[in-house]
Amino acid sequence: MRNYFIFLKKEIIESIRTYKLLIMLIVFFVFGMMSPLTAKLLPEIFSSFTTEGITISITNPTAIDSWTQFFKNISQMGLIVMVILFHGILATELSKGTLINMLTKGLSRSTVILSKFTSMAIVWTLSYMLAFIVCLGYTVYLFPGDQTSNLLFSVFCLWLFGMFLLSVLLFASTLIKNNYGPLLITGGVVAVLTACNMASTIQKYNPSSLASKNVALLTRAVKPSNLFYAVLTSVICILIMVGSSITIFRKKQL
Amino acid sequence: MNILEIKHLCKNFGNHSVIRGLDLSVPEHSVFGFVGQNGAGKTTTMKMILGLLKPDSGDIVVHGEKVSYGERKSNVSIGYLPDVPEFYGYMNPMEYLKLCGEIAGISNSKIKNRSEELISLVGLEKVNRRISGFSRGMKQRLGIAQALFNEPSLLICDEPTSALDPIGRKEILDILSAIKGKTTVIFSTHILSDVERICDHVALLHDGKLALCGTLSDIKKKHRHNGFVIEFAKADDAESFMDCEELKSPEITAKKDKNTITIKVLDIKKDGQFLIALLAKKKITPIKFEIMEPTLENLFMEAIQ
Repeated sequence: MRNYFIFLKKEIIESIRTYKLLIMLIVFFVFGMMSPLTAKLLPEIFSSFTTEGITISITNPTAIDSWTQFFKNISQMGLIVMVILFHGILATELSKGTLINMLTKGLSRSTVILSKFTSMAIVWTLSYMLAFIVCLGYTVYLFPGDQTSNLLFSVFCLWLFGMFLLSVLLFASTLIKNNYGPLLITGGVVAVLTACNMASTIQKYNPSSLASKNVALLTRAVKPSNLFYAVLTSVICILIMVGSSITIFRKKQL
Repeated sequence: MNILEIKHLCKNFGNHSVIRGLDLSVPEHSVFGFVGQNGAGKTTTMKMILGLLKPDSGDIVVHGEKVSYGERKSNVSIGYLPDVPEFYGYMNPMEYLKLCGEIAGISNSKIKNRSEELISLVGLEKVNRRISGFSRGMKQRLGIAQALFNEPSLLICDEPTSALDPIGRKEILDILSAIKGKTTVIFSTHILSDVERICDHVALLHDGKLALCGTLSDIKKKHRHNGFVIEFAKADDAESFMDCEELKSPEITAKKDKNTITIKVLDIKKDGQFLIALLAKKKITPIKFEIMEPTLENLFMEAIQ
């Protein structure tokens, strides 16, 4: 337990000094700020293009438009940036051999996995919270009085999907020693899950619903209870992924 | 007492067998040279001692405790210096040593003392920049400092001197021989002069087994050929000494190479006197007259063949 916090501290120092945390915070801050602004400005940009004889009618933007931009940005670019930043979290240490010194000092392998997962989760949560708070502030400022439903739950769903991706990334890192394997596997998992979403029976349990139904939640097109099974499967998957990462890593020859 | 005992160790990678029934014991407080060609299995053996690789069969006992793969118990008394030590480049040496100490479960006040002590032992006390800017030699020094941090009774170094410049090499060897009293050192190398410089025990790994093992002096004694090397100032002297009728007895074999004559004899004492007398009789003064010592290189070539 003591070693868990020591190694977690090292991981956090690492994300600060290698600018991972900074990059995440900047990217997510920009997404948080851009989303309401794009929603607000898009109609004006369009109207400046209109020439005579053509009329483009655009309804007035609302807070929903702002959140649509937010969830689109984070669930696509945001998650991609995160996965790219963290894809080498285990592979780099294994291929360089920096972990050998720590393991021969008595650091247990399960501690390595758990503290690495925690540090990724912390960076993701902080950046995502920043994006959310900034977006919330701008949305309230730019679209005063607009109502949205289930906002917090919707935001939670995307957060959980991010955690799910991190656990997949970690699991893939214990399977494959090189740098790009984890990236490929995580991308593959997302592709498969998205494809699975076509089948409505699977959709109910599919973690990727957590990243695609966010706006529908806000407009009450989807009820929070509809996502209950998706949340449950995601939590179970995260636990299984982290658990099997530990099991595999303990058996790995270094 | 033996600090490390290895019995019938075997290890295959796929169908390539690297270690085939290795038996090895390392006595306490020795500096043990572990020699072998590139790819002989030195690193593999060391990783198995550390529990980083899983042996296919055989036992490894460190300090009376059996090493089991993936377990950390036996690691507490072992310090390890990898062949190319790598560190977290974004830390400075003191921070890195602090992390090592914390992981090893050492108290904070002791960590501070120990870090300062080690950092001056390896000569990095004036270096305050981050490790990413370190040269290979500096990393090697920091590697020794981290390996010694938890005061291990066994220090395992994987080729600590290869790829270092002569001065760096000498300094690393000096550090290793300085800690000899407190710690048993096993170090692998393929540089034989390093072995001769600091080791008292030596083992040669060849074909996955030990081809040669023992104290350096024993091995040399066992393989000493009775003979003399006589070096002359001029080739003429060598020539005329070589032509002596007295040297053509069956007990004596002489070989000439430029100014040097190598003479193999049966009895060092009697025949030595005889040679000196012969030189005096012929009025030749050699510039060197010495008993032939076997070099490690020759010994190993012999053992491998």
